Amino acid sequence: MRRQLVALAAGALLVTASACGSSGDSGDSDSGSSSGGTTTVKLGLIPIVDVAPVYLGQKKGFYGKRGLKLEISTASGGAAIVPGVASGQFQFGFSNVTSLLIAQSSGVPVKAVSNGIASTGVAGKDFAAIAVKNGSSIKSAKDLEGKKVAINTLKNINESAVRESVRKDGGDPDKVKFVELAFDQMPAALDSGQVDAACAVEPALATIKSQGGQVIASPMVDVAQGTTVAMYFTSTRYQQQNADVVKKFQEATAESLAYADAHPDEARQIITTYTKIPASVLAQVTLPKWPAEPNKESIEALAKLGEEDGFFKKTPDVDALLP
Amino acid sequence: MRLQNAALGAAGLAAFLALGEAVPRLGLVKEEYFPPTSRIASAFADELSDGAFWTALGDTLTGWALGLAIAVSAGIVIGVIVSVVPYLREATASTIEFLRPIPSVALIPLAVLLYGSELRSVLLLVVYAAFWQVLIQTLYGVQDVDPVADETARSYGLGTWARIRHVLWPTALPYVMTGVRLAAAVALILAITGELVIGAPGLGARIAVAQNSQAVPEMYALIVVTGLLGLLINVGARTVERRALAWHQSVRGEVAV
Repeated sequence: MRRQLVALAAGALLVTASACGSSGDSGDSDSGSSSGGTTTVKLGLIPIVDVAPVYLGQKKGFYGKRGLKLEISTASGGAAIVPGVASGQFQFGFSNVTSLLIAQSSGVPVKAVSNGIASTGVAGKDFAAIAVKNGSSIKSAKDLEGKKVAINTLKNINESAVRESVRKDGGDPDKVKFVELAFDQMPAALDSGQVDAACAVEPALATIKSQGGQVIASPMVDVAQGTTVAMYFTSTRYQQQNADVVKKFQEATAESLAYADAHPDEARQIITTYTKIPASVLAQVTLPKWPAEPNKESIEALAKLGEEDGFFKKTPDVDALLP
Repeated sequence: MRLQNAALGAAGLAAFLALGEAVPRLGLVKEEYFPPTSRIASAFADELSDGAFWTALGDTLTGWALGLAIAVSAGIVIGVIVSVVPYLREATASTIEFLRPIPSVALIPLAVLLYGSELRSVLLLVVYAAFWQVLIQTLYGVQDVDPVADETARSYGLGTWARIRHVLWPTALPYVMTGVRLAAAVALILAITGELVIGAPGLGARIAVAQNSQAVPEMYALIVVTGLLGLLINVGARTVERRALAWHQSVRGEVAV
């Protein structure tokens, strides 16, 4: 027995040594590996409805025909993706516009390469909404003053947008009590009265609606017309050193976005391959818009709102961020 | 006696499952948020027939096993060195007490920055959390060495290595085994937490996807899997402990005089 233990310990030590050894090669991982004309790029995504075009584009071969092989890593939140791209763990990532503006204004070298998703632009029929429980006394965004509103991340895009909805409705956004809560917990929190309203996105929004919840405002519609909500991005260093790979990624993603926008049924279908959204819920989900180009005015609007709300250390440079 | 224990354990579990079925059915909590046992069971069956589930299970077990192996070997080696080398114990005591309570999950941003969302990030968390369990137990174990036995070994001319092997190690082993058993459970918790928060492939990431997807029964089915895994790991660790310490009075059950 004792000999076995010694062998076990020795084996474990070997493992330790090799694990340490392999960490040494992480330095070159940010250049992406290429072989036989194919470049493998790592892409950091959140497994949500928004990123369906990339999965669809990958399946349709839009990346492959340009010599790109996508290696998708999923993170549970955008917070893990920005540092991952900045440190070269991923070559590309997906993040909301305000997070990118925050990163840019605090000196994290990120560069947007392609559009991600946009609001549908139709009030009451967007993928993001402020919702209240059925029978609530809250009828419009102004009524949120003094109320508890659930939001997925404080001091980020959704807070900006909700504050803008309240402001546009003639209310004082400083009087709203924001509570941080994950999207998936919003239906239950709303239902049990822990919060008075929630700024939810799909598929949580579909669940809220199925419980009789009412949409009182569409914050992304209030920000601007056809707001760009999220984008694909890379690090400035990678962009400078691999301009051709970035260009190929840009083209392939634009083609994927256009294809997904034109084929919503195929987009809905591909969502079932990387999420577990039940079919009954998925049928009710409002898909976002996937225009190929980002909407600069809306990004400037988000930058201005973020500045008013005090999210940035210094004024972000929208021109430097955009492709 | 053991049969009776097993029967009692099964009865307890059956009562728990029945409660899980009854509470939502009686409307005490909403079925949408806490599905009854039978729906979780059918989601569980669906998971078992999905190849991606087994891949995720394999990823989680790989992270757990590698992390535990690194933590255990590092904990034992460093624990013995710290105890054996004069003054090292005093020199490191406050540092260890400072580092030990830092929650492993607080290191998630660091892990992501260093390794992105892959196995190595999870390993960082697992090793950090499990290492202290083994180290502290090893330190206690070595402290427990009978000074008379140690002096006797010395006077018989045993060298440092021989004394570690024949005096220190048998004394420390029961403590080390306790540390390993604690570390095995902690390593599993951290492996799954790491996957859940960072998104590294594994059961945790699958739970996160189910959560994001409003797939409530699937989420609970996966949580049940992690619970079962914890149970198996604990049983396994106890078996290893019993076999490794078969010579020790705590297992042998005789009074050694």
